[in-house]
Amino acid sequence: MTARKASARGKVSIAVPTGALMPGALRLLARAGVARLSGEELGRQLLVDRAGVRVILVRPADVPAYVDHGAADLGIVGKDILWETPGAHYELVDLKFGHCQLVLAVPLASKLNGAETWPPQLRVATKYPRTASAWFESRGQAVEVVQLHGSVELAPQVGLVDAIVDLTATGRTLRENGLRVTATLGASTARLIANQASLKTRTDAVQAAVGRLREAVGL
Amino acid sequence: MRRWGYRHVITPMVESTEVLERGIGADQRRRLFKFADARGEVVAVVGERTVPVARLVAGKLRGSPLPLRLCYAGPVLSTDDGRFHQRRETYQVGAELVGAPGTVADAEVIALAARCLQASGVQRYQVDVGHAEFFHGIMDAVKLPEEVKAAVRVALAARDFVALETLLEKTPLRSAEHELLLRFPALRGGSEILQAAGGLVRNRRSERALAELAEVQELLVAHGLGEVVSLDLGAIRDFDYYTGIIFEGYGPDVGRPVAQGGRYDGLLARFGRPAPATGFVVQLDLVWEMLTRAARPPALPRIDAAVAWSGSGLKTALRLGSTLRLFGMRAVVDTQARDHAESKTWWRTVGAVNLIHCRNESTVAWTVRGKRTRRLPPEQVAGRLAGGLA
Repeated sequence: MTARKASARGKVSIAVPTGALMPGALRLLARAGVARLSGEELGRQLLVDRAGVRVILVRPADVPAYVDHGAADLGIVGKDILWETPGAHYELVDLKFGHCQLVLAVPLASKLNGAETWPPQLRVATKYPRTASAWFESRGQAVEVVQLHGSVELAPQVGLVDAIVDLTATGRTLRENGLRVTATLGASTARLIANQASLKTRTDAVQAAVGRLREAVGL
Repeated sequence: MRRWGYRHVITPMVESTEVLERGIGADQRRRLFKFADARGEVVAVVGERTVPVARLVAGKLRGSPLPLRLCYAGPVLSTDDGRFHQRRETYQVGAELVGAPGTVADAEVIALAARCLQASGVQRYQVDVGHAEFFHGIMDAVKLPEEVKAAVRVALAARDFVALETLLEKTPLRSAEHELLLRFPALRGGSEILQAAGGLVRNRRSERALAELAEVQELLVAHGLGEVVSLDLGAIRDFDYYTGIIFEGYGPDVGRPVAQGGRYDGLLARFGRPAPATGFVVQLDLVWEMLTRAARPPALPRIDAAVAWSGSGLKTALRLGSTLRLFGMRAVVDTQARDHAESKTWWRTVGAVNLIHCRNESTVAWTVRGKRTRRLPPEQVAGRLAGGLA
């Protein structure tokens, strides 16, 4: 086995998510002077080595796994993912981009509104079963959570569920699908997370990268 | 651990939940494998062994004078992956020093943990030493409403520094303690960290913690471990359980601590024999992971001699095997007769250094790996092998 890990070469590795947060993450890495690379290049190679740093591209929900197991020292990930997958990582910086909200939405015609209008048992579709269950549980509401992996907006329109819990930035997708927001579960932005052992065993290199990113965000 | 005078104890694999729950937190409680025995009593498979050892010290070993030095090894179970997505069954080796207060005892346990990592063959390792009281002192002194303090504890336990920052920003009162809390993950380094923190804290609890850390660091240098020890004031652990010096051992390329420990002076009292105590546990699964990833993974122990036989050579073979073992060699005696050619194939599967083929009582054929076969009386072969050892 050769040195598969960036750490073996004294590099700091950073996991960047595909999708909506990728452009913002790459802009931030460039602004902080950590690494300058295009989305096209990273999308093609998935793993790009630069001086002192290695950037890897993974699915958003996989970022915590890469960081928790030490395959990446740092990770950029939406808070929404962290609600869903708590782990052993350190959550260090609010990177202040990728603003969006996790909301409870119902069809325009629905009678559901505040908690007083909820039926004894609510059926909810979501990509965030853990977060949704915990939120309803803390409000004493019995809920049946249907976990979906995409097009959650469709579920209430075809009668699968009463409501959905989903992420929205502008509310446009919800409106286009005839849904309205009745409650907000939380606000999410991109976060910088760090592996526990990386912070301890390679403190200087990792803290230096964290410091630069922190500065670039204006903290 | 035997060389440090720690006695090996074997504690039960299954304990009544009532006993275990006296010692562990809610989070660990949830993760126990529980079931009911024939009488309907709820029992659980142990999830760690410090609590069973504490019960042993307060129970069966009640008459033994303190301090007691005890060690243990065995599998433990936990139902879900918890923070570390780990296997349900893991193997832990640990030690507890019960009845000894003070930094000399703290340093002994840390040094023993470090030497255990070293003895396991891990190439590079480091030990980070912190103090639970440093954190408690800060939380006492920091000027925050009680409910915010509770939220600060929750945020720190989740290692969520974004939430922590938001909480602290909301409060108008600024103090040095605010600053320390925000810099928690970066409070790591050598003795300069103690001075930097000493300049910021203004409370007795934290100051005493810093003084103890300085002592422990000095003692660890005397233990010959100055190189591998760092100070980590921002170590986040179960602060309800630990009461003093805490520490974590890290190895290369494993994303989590391979050894953990610290002082827990409150536990023994819960079993009716109040005593200070400190101890540690090494996660053997993680050590194994590190060793197999190393440039030169450890090999299985070498077998010194494969003793084959045919005809009337069995008794000679058995006698020769006993003699070699007396000299401390690992010797395997074949279970069936083979001629010399067949015995060479068998020799390769055993993987031994020497092949000794016994055909009768007076002469054996001795082959060393890579050399040619010699015919000698068995006593001479045994003598030469033993001589080679010396």
